[in-house]
Amino acid sequence: METLSFEFPAGQPPKGRALVGCVGSGDLEVLLEPGSPGKLTIQVQTSVNGAEQRWQHLFERIFQEHTPPALKIDIHDFGATPGVVRLRLEQGFEEIGHD
Amino acid sequence: MNAHDLLWGMTSGQLPSDAPAWVLEAINAGHPVVVRRAIAEPGQVAVGVRGRLREQRFATVMPLAAVQRRVVPEALRGVTSSRDLPALRALDLLRPVLAQEAWGITGSAGFELASGVQALHEHSDLDLILRTHERLERGDAEDLLAILDTAPCAVDLQLQTPFGAVALREWAGGSRRVLLKTVSGAHLVVDPWQAVA
Repeated sequence: METLSFEFPAGQPPKGRALVGCVGSGDLEVLLEPGSPGKLTIQVQTSVNGAEQRWQHLFERIFQEHTPPALKIDIHDFGATPGVVRLRLEQGFEEIGHD
Repeated sequence: MNAHDLLWGMTSGQLPSDAPAWVLEAINAGHPVVVRRAIAEPGQVAVGVRGRLREQRFATVMPLAAVQRRVVPEALRGVTSSRDLPALRALDLLRPVLAQEAWGITGSAGFELASGVQALHEHSDLDLILRTHERLERGDAEDLLAILDTAPCAVDLQLQTPFGAVALREWAGGSRRVLLKTVSGAHLVVDPWQAVA
């Protein structure tokens, strides 16, 4: 088990919160809550050690497409592939947007 | 060949040259490889090699011609073990619950029961697959999940539909869209029993 922290520039905080994903191998659980304006913080708890670079690069690629809202994101990872991480984050952003 | 099948017969010569030492060790020890949900070139099958540590998973391909033995998850239902571990006790508890279903054992429990190589430990989950050609209603999924959650360890049951696999836990939950794992990757879908557009 390893806990990793990341921070990215962001826009305004949303109103709602969302919980997406699933506890189970190859998947992850993502909790999204409103954060402080201008800041996106992510904490990743992962069963796969030594993957900090991979997470950093993956987040960079996702957030360079468009500026994310200001959130506090908690991720519990159970060995998800980058494709699954991307889908779950998109799902989370979508659900937060619907509130 | 389907995802989760265990295959014997791969040799270290079939591994790419950048394979880590632990991969060669596992292959040279005669451990089986696990079929992955991915597309491979004709004549090849996408497989994963398991190491002792959790992060030791290596994705590669195996020539179909090299396969000497194949064990499907269903074939492990009747296999018992003398080890006393939560995952194995959970299995004993769930066998009668699933008796009428098309189910099988995957993950570390499947690997250990099929190969005799110790892969389970005190905190291992139990990974199961349930083949559901017909749609499993969400209410029925909830009922099944409630039973699985009485087991002495976490049980991760994947519903295998004609189009991919979805976690029972997620299908039983309230999310409108769920993650369907297919040979072409993961997709968020409303109905896992419908072809992905």
